[in-house]
Amino acid sequence: MAKSKSKSKKPAKRTPKVDPITLSVVRGVLETTQREMTLSLEKTARSSVFNLAHDYSTALFNHTPEMILQGQDIPIHLGSLIPAMKAVSSYFDGDINPGDLILHNDPDYAGSHIIDLCMYKPVFYKGKHVFWTVCKGHLTDIGGPVPAGYNPDAKEIFAEGLRIPPIKIWDKGVPRDDIVNMLLTNMRARRDQEGDFNALIGACQVGERNLIALLDKYGVKQVQTCIAELLDMADRHMRSLIGAVKDGTYVGTAILEDAGHGFGDFDITATVTIKKDTCHIAIESPPQIPYFINSYEGNSYSGVYLGLMMFAQLPPPYNEGLYRGVTVDMGEYGSLCNAKPPAPHMNCTTTPMETLTDAVRLAFEKAAPSQVSASWGHANGCNIAGWDTRHDEEYVTMVLASIISGAGATPEQDGWHACGPECCFGALTSGDIELLEYSYPIIIHQYSLMIDSGGAGKFRGGSGTCWEVEPLDKPMTLITFGEGRRIPAMGAAGAASGMVEQKVGRLEITRNNKVDVIKENVIETINPGDKAANKNPGGGGFGNPLERPVDKIVWDMKNGLVSVNGAKEDYGVVITDEETLQVDLKATEKLRAELGRKAA
Amino acid sequence: MRTQYRLGIDAGGTFTDFVLADQSGKVRLYKALSTPADPTLAIKNGLALITEDLGVSAEDIVSQCDLCINGTTVGLNALIQHTGAKTGLICTAGHEDSIEIRLGHKEDGYRYDAQYPPAVMLVPRYLRKGVNERVISDGSVRTPMNEQDVRDACEHFLSEGVETVAVSFVWSVLNPAHEERAGQIVREMMPDTVLTVGSQLYPQVREYTRTSTAITNAYLAPILKKYVDSIDDYFQSLGAKYPVRYFQSNGGLAVGQAMTDRSVYAINSGPASAPTAGLYVAAPFKKNNVITVDMGGTSFDITLTKDGVTNLNKNIDFLRYRIGVPMIQVETLGAGGGSIGRIDEMGLLQMGPQSAGAEPGPACYDQGGTEPTVSDANLVLGYLNPDGLVGGRLPLDSDKAHAAVKSRIADPLDLSVEQAAYGMFTIVNSNMVNGIRRVSVERGYDPRDFVLVGAGGATAAHITAIAEEMGIDMIVLPKLASGLCAFGQIISDVKYNYMATAPVRLDNTAAYQRIDKLYKEIEAQGVEHLVADGFKKSKIAISRSIEMRYVGQVHECTVEIDKFAINSKSIERVKEAFHQRHEQLYTYSERHNDVEVVNIESTLYGLVDKPKPPRIGKGASPKKALKGHRKAIFSANGKAQKTPVYDGGALGAGASIKGPAVIEEETTTIVVQPGWGAKLDANGSYIIKRGKK
Repeated sequence: MAKSKSKSKKPAKRTPKVDPITLSVVRGVLETTQREMTLSLEKTARSSVFNLAHDYSTALFNHTPEMILQGQDIPIHLGSLIPAMKAVSSYFDGDINPGDLILHNDPDYAGSHIIDLCMYKPVFYKGKHVFWTVCKGHLTDIGGPVPAGYNPDAKEIFAEGLRIPPIKIWDKGVPRDDIVNMLLTNMRARRDQEGDFNALIGACQVGERNLIALLDKYGVKQVQTCIAELLDMADRHMRSLIGAVKDGTYVGTAILEDAGHGFGDFDITATVTIKKDTCHIAIESPPQIPYFINSYEGNSYSGVYLGLMMFAQLPPPYNEGLYRGVTVDMGEYGSLCNAKPPAPHMNCTTTPMETLTDAVRLAFEKAAPSQVSASWGHANGCNIAGWDTRHDEEYVTMVLASIISGAGATPEQDGWHACGPECCFGALTSGDIELLEYSYPIIIHQYSLMIDSGGAGKFRGGSGTCWEVEPLDKPMTLITFGEGRRIPAMGAAGAASGMVEQKVGRLEITRNNKVDVIKENVIETINPGDKAANKNPGGGGFGNPLERPVDKIVWDMKNGLVSVNGAKEDYGVVITDEETLQVDLKATEKLRAELGRKAA
Repeated sequence: MRTQYRLGIDAGGTFTDFVLADQSGKVRLYKALSTPADPTLAIKNGLALITEDLGVSAEDIVSQCDLCINGTTVGLNALIQHTGAKTGLICTAGHEDSIEIRLGHKEDGYRYDAQYPPAVMLVPRYLRKGVNERVISDGSVRTPMNEQDVRDACEHFLSEGVETVAVSFVWSVLNPAHEERAGQIVREMMPDTVLTVGSQLYPQVREYTRTSTAITNAYLAPILKKYVDSIDDYFQSLGAKYPVRYFQSNGGLAVGQAMTDRSVYAINSGPASAPTAGLYVAAPFKKNNVITVDMGGTSFDITLTKDGVTNLNKNIDFLRYRIGVPMIQVETLGAGGGSIGRIDEMGLLQMGPQSAGAEPGPACYDQGGTEPTVSDANLVLGYLNPDGLVGGRLPLDSDKAHAAVKSRIADPLDLSVEQAAYGMFTIVNSNMVNGIRRVSVERGYDPRDFVLVGAGGATAAHITAIAEEMGIDMIVLPKLASGLCAFGQIISDVKYNYMATAPVRLDNTAAYQRIDKLYKEIEAQGVEHLVADGFKKSKIAISRSIEMRYVGQVHECTVEIDKFAINSKSIERVKEAFHQRHEQLYTYSERHNDVEVVNIESTLYGLVDKPKPPRIGKGASPKKALKGHRKAIFSANGKAQKTPVYDGGALGAGASIKGPAVIEEETTTIVVQPGWGAKLDANGSYIIKRGKK
């Protein structure tokens, strides 16, 4: 069972407004409902991004609309679903009817990036609008000039794919096949996109089925009272955590590295002001640029909330009440983290979101020292596309196995290996390699942990991964995205690595035994016989690495996670025999003292 | 039954249950404390209890048994406590880490708590050795195997003291040649080592699942082998005429050799006999849609059987390890008599999953426990006898229960103790209902189409309330409930699963022929094994299932099919069954789209003669069996009402009791909620039904 790291162990004081027993029952039903929606999506969706990688989310809203249950899915989707639901509901204000089904992806209506398609179904009970069931998923394609949507050459959002403002694809129960046909006509791999549309619709219906049963049993009034109380309780809980932090203003700045756009590095700064039990988070970022790393406001909410949760470390379930005491100013309209049309944005769910999260995380680390976990490795991945001669059809997909980085270490333990990226927090799965090879004409030569990739610390960051691929029989297009290729994941509580190069991401292409190391976002052609290895960063460490017990470092060495050089440079441990891993304790003590002085 | 007795022994966490059936139809239940450190000890103690009761020696019982059956938790405990054997993995180079990458995720979605630890690796990285070799997705060899790599791995394992080895290569499922050759080399170089070969153990697509399953098997095999050898020896020394049969997680029996070769099949055998027992006790009432619920001291296990076919799980995380082989789907919740109630960080009442266990136990056991548990709530509610359970042998302390509920639940929530206890009862029931939804609704079944069968000692106090909540109309509660799983084992058949993989689109004759051929091959193999086990062909039964999906989907729907030749005509029946199943599960189907097959499976049964069902005599009328009255609570307002209490042991067949009522059996207490009525059937089960509204 999850335990909260709340500073005040006592539960928030409550004034009972509703029967506490019914309250617990209602919460259980809401959780079960969301779980069943998620399961339905997972089992039916077509695209591997969707069903192998779990790059989808589900949520329940009341009619107001306030998020009443956030699924245990991808955090990058869920912060943004809150403003998105509000934008969609206000667009159709006065025209929301039983049997409607609304589709949307546009970031100008608080969508995240346009390849994430959102489906909204209003749930009516006895003629009254009571709930929304909502789900969101990453398709394999959304039209536009580049397969899979990630176009590093796009100067405007129009060069990235189809923008879909809120539209009804069912109107009072009547499917609008002409509209859906128009959308699908503009997408690659139509069969898969159509399947994913159906999966999203199916999940909304599964949710609706359960919520109506809940209303049948307890009635609208009692259910709504319980939900209001659940929102209040979450609010009280978050406020109790914030209230335990000393009032003040805390600033965190994280650097977003130049991934080939030529504009240089950017600072993203979060200023967290804590006043009693509320907090205000102000974001500052440079003006938006004609490159696909701008983030519109909706998506940026996800980044900010994730940074907040790395501080709060709450156990699920989550709802919008958590954020009532938290106000956010995303900075100037037209800036990198508060972009305006026509800024290109496809990379936003990872870049700059993870840097934005880091900035917020760092500000909270200053507010509550030694309580906040280290940063996770950032996403540094690839999409692949080409022709599948086995079935004579086109293929295109984002490769989730290519973005599995290491988790940050926590105040209590080493980071999980291969669990990232930060924006997904372990909710993503990468898919079985045999199923990937069955679905796409590729050979995966390697999917492994990487030596010395976990950030050094008293608690070590998790290891990043290497995913190496070769096309089966035809050239393959490989498109990279992300960053974390120069700046390693941020450590916490004084953690820092001596050996940096192994801790950052990169793409290595082997052609005729010659290896090219690429650290920018590129579009490359990979021929059969060539190999492309995508390497993902490890997580940040926690605490002073010189305090890490020597036996733990030796165990990591025995398991090939830390090299002899890594032990020396990262941890100040001197090995006299590489075979037996014999430690020179005296030399180690000396080196550690020396490194300690240098760091001071 | 050809001989005098049949004996079933089921080891649980706290008790080991012994069920002894005799030719007359009499079924006796005994309980001995489990002895996890030396499981044979509990068996000796249990046999001593039988000797004491019947005056027959252990030798006389065992030598007169047609079958001795053992359900063991040896594998489960080793997996929980990480005390398996030192294991090495030989795999395709570049894929040594798939079991540690675990598809790159945390199993509970994203969680922000800093203490959630990664799973402990059954094979640490330094014992996972890659071999240069590669088969690709069409089954062809891309890179021949470098045999020296295998030899190097064996040398390494020998120097590290590895006791057991798993071999698992990418796509071995389509071309096992490399794996087989690597296995030969391991046998040559490490003759004392137990060997597990991935494609033989689990011939299905999915490298991570196959490798993880093989590793788990290898990790447990030496331990299971040691256990099976000691049990077999012990029973032989008592003069057993037939080899001991072991119960598996797939819901069937196996001989010892199969158990040690395929030890991963043993990991969750405890609750896996519940469906067989459930069907057996529901059969006299012509019911074959059964949900079984089994509530013990710490957990609540649920299974579902529709039209006589039980839900199975494949490819799931079990105790944090991915396991491919079929297991009876058992949904386990931390909801038992010892489950603790608490107010969580948000101020909400939660029940479990923490448990007071056997030590210190519920507050009412008066062994030092101060946390309020389900049993404490049930005592406050007047459901349990304040004079004690098991005929007074386990005394209960009402004041302690009252104090625990008051201080931890009632006061913080500003409720009366009675209201708080009823709240605890309601929440734990609600948790159980949500658990039942996971095996029913999430699998596309409407729970209202099922009867609920109760097993385990603590279930009977809750089962009527659960049925009420779920809209289920009929409950079957056997007097034997607390030993029902052991009973399920003695009426089970031998059962082996045979699998093959056939990733083909269903749009051409060659595809149908391939599937047809594969079924025939695996079934021929299965018949051969069962014949070797001593089964006549007339005693062998076969059932088939097939996993299908729409082209482009990644998850499959499993559909049961009859045994018929697969051809261009019959394939339409198979496809139709798939479309219907997809609709049932996910609200829609795509009949215009292509369907493909991934895996196929045949289950082979060696049919075992069943003992006679238990019968009970006329006995007393309810009026005569009435022990008295006590105050019990059946509503959220906490108001008590005078409730009759009956002596179940005295009741005769046909006795009918109207709720609210409490019926006290030797090993369980039945609470009949208001609006429900119970009738004792001659088969030894209470039928509890909803009254007409």
